[in-house]
Amino acid sequence: MIRIQYFPSPQPAVALLARGLAIVLALVCAGLLLAASGAAPLTLASQVIKSTFGSSFGLEDVGLLVTPLILTGLSVSIALKIGAWNIGAEGQFYAGALAATGVGLFIPGPTIVILPLMFVAGVLGGVIWILIPTLARAYTNVSELITTLLLNFVGTLLAYYVSTGPWLDPGGHALGTTARVRHDVPELWGTIHWGLPLAILLTIIVTVLLNFTRWGYQVRVAGSNPQAAKYAGMPFRRHLITVMLLSGAIAGIAGMLEIAGTVHRLQGGISNNFGYLGIMVAVLARGSALGVLAGAALMAVILNSGIILQTQGLNTSTVLAITGLILFFTAIGDELAHYRVVRTEPATA
Amino acid sequence: MNVMPEAAALRSPGTPPIVLLKGIAKYFPGVIANQDVDLEVWAGEIHALLGENGAGKSTLMNVLTGIYKPDAGEIIIDGYARDFASPLEAIAAGIGMVHQHFKLVKAFTVAENIHLGWSETPPRISAEALEARTAELAAALNLAIQPGARVEDLSTGEQQRVEILRVLTRQARVLILDEPTAVLTPAEARELFKALRDFVSRGNAVIFISHKLDEVLEISDRISVLRGGRKVTTEDTRNCSQKMLAKLMVGHEIVLNDLRGRSAGAAPVSSDPVLSLRNVSAYDDLGNIALNRASLDIHAGEILGIAGVAGNGQKELSQVLTGMRAVASGSIVVDGKAFSSAGAGEFADFGVGHIPEDRLTTGLAPALSVTDNAVIREYDRAPVSLGRWFRPGAATALARSIAEAAAVAVPDFAMPVRNLSGGNQQRLVARREMRIASRLLIAAYPSRGLDVGAINTMMRYFVELRDAGVGVILISEELEELLNLSDRIAVMFHGEIMGIVETASTDIEAIGMLMGGQRAAMRSLEPAGI
Repeated sequence: MIRIQYFPSPQPAVALLARGLAIVLALVCAGLLLAASGAAPLTLASQVIKSTFGSSFGLEDVGLLVTPLILTGLSVSIALKIGAWNIGAEGQFYAGALAATGVGLFIPGPTIVILPLMFVAGVLGGVIWILIPTLARAYTNVSELITTLLLNFVGTLLAYYVSTGPWLDPGGHALGTTARVRHDVPELWGTIHWGLPLAILLTIIVTVLLNFTRWGYQVRVAGSNPQAAKYAGMPFRRHLITVMLLSGAIAGIAGMLEIAGTVHRLQGGISNNFGYLGIMVAVLARGSALGVLAGAALMAVILNSGIILQTQGLNTSTVLAITGLILFFTAIGDELAHYRVVRTEPATA
Repeated sequence: MNVMPEAAALRSPGTPPIVLLKGIAKYFPGVIANQDVDLEVWAGEIHALLGENGAGKSTLMNVLTGIYKPDAGEIIIDGYARDFASPLEAIAAGIGMVHQHFKLVKAFTVAENIHLGWSETPPRISAEALEARTAELAAALNLAIQPGARVEDLSTGEQQRVEILRVLTRQARVLILDEPTAVLTPAEARELFKALRDFVSRGNAVIFISHKLDEVLEISDRISVLRGGRKVTTEDTRNCSQKMLAKLMVGHEIVLNDLRGRSAGAAPVSSDPVLSLRNVSAYDDLGNIALNRASLDIHAGEILGIAGVAGNGQKELSQVLTGMRAVASGSIVVDGKAFSSAGAGEFADFGVGHIPEDRLTTGLAPALSVTDNAVIREYDRAPVSLGRWFRPGAATALARSIAEAAAVAVPDFAMPVRNLSGGNQQRLVARREMRIASRLLIAAYPSRGLDVGAINTMMRYFVELRDAGVGVILISEELEELLNLSDRIAVMFHGEIMGIVETASTDIEAIGMLMGGQRAAMRSLEPAGI
C-alpha cells in the first residue's frame, strides 16, 4: 500500500528541491501574468539575464544591492534567534544613514579618521532607533513587532525632512538631497566597495558567535524557549537586550555603508525598502547564515531585474509581485517537504 | 420533577435511565482504556465518576460524547440505543460536556461566545440584542453572568459559568463536568455546586468527574469508581466514606513492589538535612497564595514523597525547591546556608537536578536539537565548553552518552528534540538531571505519560541516586509509586503540608484522609522556627 506520511523534519535534499521549485514556479506565474498583460516574458527574461550576468555593469549593480540586503537580512535573522521580530530594520537603516551623514558632512578631518567615525555613528544610530522598542519589550513586554514597525515611519520621514530642509545641499545641484559626503568606502571591483566583504565578514562573525560560543548557546536556548532558559539559570532579559541592540546596530551599518559606499548623499527613499526586504531574506534563510547570503543574493538579482524591467516600460509592482510569489511558493514548498510517500506492507492478519 | 436527593427514589417504574452504558470497551494500541463498563445515570441525580489518573474516566466520557467510537458495548439514551457518529450528534441528543480546559474565544464577549457556532443564533443581530438574549438565557437557567464582558477579563469561575451556560443553551439534559473544581476557589466551587443542584432539580442529570474525595462526597448522589479501565462499583453516596473510596480507587490488590530496602554499601540517610524549608510561602502565576507556610527537611540518601491531588501547590513547591520561583516569605536553608533568594542557576550549581512537570515547556527547548537540549546543564564547562568557546562536537558526544544511559535511540542528534516521543524526552531529561544531581533531585510527576516499563526504569534511577547518597523529592499522584519508593511521605492540600508520615507505619487510608484535607493526628515533623 502506498500512502503519504508527514515527517517532523524534512530530508535536506527534498527541502532544497522544494525551494528551487518554488522559485521556478513563482517565475513561471509572473511570466504568465506578464504574457496576459501583453508583454513577451521570454524576451524580457533573456534581456534580464543578459543585462544582469552578461555584463560587468549588471554584476556590479547586483553587488551594490546585495550588501545592504545581507546586513538587513542578518539584522532580522539575529533578532529572530532571541525570539524577537525586528520589523524596524528600515528605520534603523535610516537612523544609521542619517547619523553617518551628519558626521561625514559636519566633522572636518581626513577620511581615515572620519570614515571609522561614520561607522560608529551608523552603529549608534541603529542602536538608538531600536533602544526604546528593546527596553519596552524587555521590561514591560510590549510587542517589539509593533514598536519597531512604527518607528520606521519616523525614521523615513526624518530623513526626508533633514535632506530637504536643514541639510539640503547648499550648492543646490540636486533637489532633495544633502551635499555629497566626501568620505568614501574604498572601491573593490568596479563600483563594488569594501562594504560587501565587510557584510560577509559580519555574517561569518555572527555565525561563529551563535554556534561556537557559550554566549551563542545561551542566546539560542533563551530565544527558543525563555522558560527553559530560566530553568537553566540563563539571563533571558540580558540576552534579549544585547541581541536586539546588535540587530539595530547591524541595520545601522547597512545605512552607513549605503551613504559612504554607494549613494554618498542622504535623500528620502534611500533605503530602497532594504529594511523590509531584509525580513524576507531572514525568512528565506530560516536562521542560517549561509541562508542569509543566498537569500540576499536572490533578492538582489530580483531587485536588479526590476530595474531592468522598468527600462522596458513595466511597472515596479511587477517586482513586488514576483517577491510575493516566491515567498508564497516557498512557504508551501517548505510545508510540503515534510511529506514523503511511503510504502507499507499490508497487514496480513 | 421535584428535588429528590435519594437516588433510589428516582427510579420510577417505566422511566428508563437518562443515560445507560452497557459493556463499553475502548482499546488503544497496547492499552485497555475501558472494558465492560456499565453505567446508569438517572434524571435528577448528580453522579460522580471517581478514579485515579488513567483509570479510564476521560475515555468513557469521550465515548459518551461521541468523540470516540466504542469498540464494544451500547449507548442507550432515554431508552433508545444510539450510535454517535460525531460530538454534534451527542449534543443533539442532549449530552453536553464542560472540559477542563475551556473552549472559549478569549477576545470575544460572553454573549458572542454563547452564540458562536449555534444554529439558533439570529443571522443579523446587534451587540445589544445579542447581550439581551444572553441575559435572558442566563436568567432562565439561573446562572449569574455578565453578557457584555470580555471572556479574558473574567475569573476562572466566571469563565466556567459561561462554558456551562453555552452547553445548557444547547438543550443539554446531561451535563458532564471534567474536574470542574480544579480551577476554582472554594467560594466559586460552592457557587458551582448550587448551580448544579438547581440544574438536576429540573429533571436533568450531572456526571461529575473528579478525584477529590471530599467534594465527591459533598455533591454527588451516587458514585461510580473506575480503576484500570473497569468499573469497580457504583454506590449511593450516603453509604460511602473517604476511607472506603480511597481504597476502591487505588485497589485492594495494590502491588507493593517495595523498593525502600537498601542494598549493601548504599549510603546511609544523613543526620543533617541537605535542604530545609521553614514556613515557606509562595504565589502562583496569578498572584494567589499557592504554597502556604510549608516546612520540610530532606536528608541525603532518602526519598521523600510528596502526595496530594494535583494543583494543591506541588508545582510551586517544586519550583521553590529549584530556584525557579521566588519565595514570598519563610526561608530555604541549604547545607546550613541561606538559599532563599538563590536563582535556578545557583541551585543547579549546588547539585540540584530538576525533572519539571511540564518537560516540553520548561525542561526543553522543543525547536532546538537533541544535542543542544542534552547539554543544557553542562554547556558551560569542559568538555562542552573551553573558556568562552562552545564546542558542538563535544556537545554531541555528551548528548550521545546521555542518550545511551537513558536507553533512548536517537537517529539524528541534530533533529529538533520535539521529534522524540514523550517517553524518550522524559528519559533524556531524567538522565540529564541525574548527572548534575550530586546533592538533590526534584522530580515532579516523572512517570506521567510513561508506560509501565519506562516507569520501572525511572524508579530504578531514583533508587540508584538514593543509594549514592543523593536526596530525592518525588512528587506524584500515584500513591502506589510513593508507597513503594519513599521513606517518608508529605501530603499537600490547598498549599499546605498537612503532615509528613513514615511510609513504614502508614497506609493508603491515612494518606487519603490527608489528601482530602484532614490533618494528621500523627504529624511527625512540627515546623521548628529558625
